Amino acid sequence: MSLRYHIVQTALMTALVFMAVPAAAEDVLLTLTGAVTDGRVEMTRADFDTMDWHEFSTSTSVTDGRPEFRGVLMRDALAHAGAEGSSVRATALNDYVVDIPVEDFHRFDVLAALYMDDVPLTPRDKGPVWIVYPRDNHGVLADIRYDMRWVWQLVALHVQ
Amino acid sequence: MTGTGGRARYLWLGGLVAICLGLLALAAWQLVVLERQMRIAATENMIWVFGQTQIEALNLALALSDEAALQQIQTRFDILVSRLTLLEDGPQRRFLENAGVSETLARWRSGLLALDPAQGADPAALRAHVTALVAALRTKASLVMSHEWQSQATRLDSLRHLHLLALMSVLGAAVAGLGLVAILIDRERRLMSGQLDHLRAEKLASDLERERETSENHRRFADLIAHQFRTPLAVIDSAMHRLTRRSGGPVPPELISEKAAVSREAVARLVKLTDTALMMSRLERDAVLPSLRAHDLNDLVSSVIDDLMATAWDRDPARIRQSVQTEPTVALCDPMLTAEILSNLLRNALLYSPPDCRVDVSVFQSRDCIVCRIEDRGRGMSPEEIECAFDRFYRGSGHETLPGSGLGLTLARDLARIQGGDVTLSQRDGGGLTAALYLPKDDVA
Repeated sequence: MSLRYHIVQTALMTALVFMAVPAAAEDVLLTLTGAVTDGRVEMTRADFDTMDWHEFSTSTSVTDGRPEFRGVLMRDALAHAGAEGSSVRATALNDYVVDIPVEDFHRFDVLAALYMDDVPLTPRDKGPVWIVYPRDNHGVLADIRYDMRWVWQLVALHVQ
Repeated sequence: MTGTGGRARYLWLGGLVAICLGLLALAAWQLVVLERQMRIAATENMIWVFGQTQIEALNLALALSDEAALQQIQTRFDILVSRLTLLEDGPQRRFLENAGVSETLARWRSGLLALDPAQGADPAALRAHVTALVAALRTKASLVMSHEWQSQATRLDSLRHLHLLALMSVLGAAVAGLGLVAILIDRERRLMSGQLDHLRAEKLASDLERERETSENHRRFADLIAHQFRTPLAVIDSAMHRLTRRSGGPVPPELISEKAAVSREAVARLVKLTDTALMMSRLERDAVLPSLRAHDLNDLVSSVIDDLMATAWDRDPARIRQSVQTEPTVALCDPMLTAEILSNLLRNALLYSPPDCRVDVSVFQSRDCIVCRIEDRGRGMSPEEIECAFDRFYRGSGHETLPGSGLGLTLARDLARIQGGDVTLSQRDGGGLTAALYLPKDDVA
């Protein structure tokens, strides 16, 4: 039963990946508002591609093992949008909202991840963008107060 | 017996230290475990995660019944799939397995994916599926909640248990520590009382020794006084006898004056002896308080020499030669006590050197003292004799028959020292003895 369960699960995951609508280069992945250039900056995959990409493996509170995440640094994304503020209000697809101090992105290499284990993140999983903290490199990050800042299905950042 | 007791005490001590440290280490370890367990894991938030899934299912159901735009339905569909996917991930799946709701959820998700609106699935079938899913989730939610509270309560139990253990360890360590303190205090008390006993015994021994010395001194003093009193008394007696024995004719005046002189000298010796004894006794009681004034030591020496000559009929004034002094020799001293010292030293010089030998007396300044040096040409003393010459009742060898208390030098030195000075003896170049009295200079002079 367990084997069948796993086969079904793997098949489903694969189906998910291929069935999900792949993000076109011109699709807006992330919208920044507030204290950014001209009050609104929309970032497409093409914008992400112009920036430096980073990757690291880390454990997370909702998965097993240490998946490898790939994306751009949050501070680079904010710099790209000309953000000037001390805090960002992150909004997810499901209207999950959390305030994150900008200081986090300077203290730690926080990633705006687009890939997990080389698989693109989609809205059907935790995409398009997942805020990932380098949890294993800093003991202080293994805490619920930081876990709740790992916003998945991130679509908007309001800088204030 | 004591050795065994001591070893037992050490064992107790070591045991208590080990218990104390062990319990503290245990408490520290339990606190570390406690600290690790205090973190909140995201899986403990399953009520919220599950509630979110329920909400997304409702949202999709709402979008479908409102016949919303395809794009909006698609978004809600995607989000619902993502929630179900989240529930499939490691930690969440294990939690749901434990709660007994995992497998049914996996079936619901595969059913949902088969009705993907992006693939042009029938909206009515999707709506029916989602409605059924909402109902299913509602029943499972209570299972999830009860399981979560169950596991939270279990975790709190384990925390409480650890906390209690740590508390008991600390209390145990405190009790062991108290035992340790009690043992240490007891040891310290024993040690102190031992030391006290030792000190008391030492003091008793030294008191006893001093008493013995004092009583020995008194005995020797009494002997000496008795002996020294005998001689002058015998002299007086013999003089009187001579005067009264002459039956034939009157006693010639020369004989009377001769015997009177002899008797007077004997009396003077008795008086001197008595004075010395009195002074010694006062010194012993610290009853002598010198009144220090500026006095020219040279003048004091002259008057002492005059007194000495006046009290002894047979003394030749020419024997003592006082050198002429030009520089000032003002010392800070008590004239009575200083005269006593000089008198003692001069008597010794006259007594212990042949009658035809000169005694030189000189007074001069040294760097910070006024010194009176008395040099005789007698037999002198060996360094060993000089060493004990200041001891009480010491009499120079071969001089036991000469009159003297054996206290003169002791007295002289004691009297000099209470005035801030000293008396020394040394061998004179060319034979004889040099006695020197040092007195502090008068600073004003």
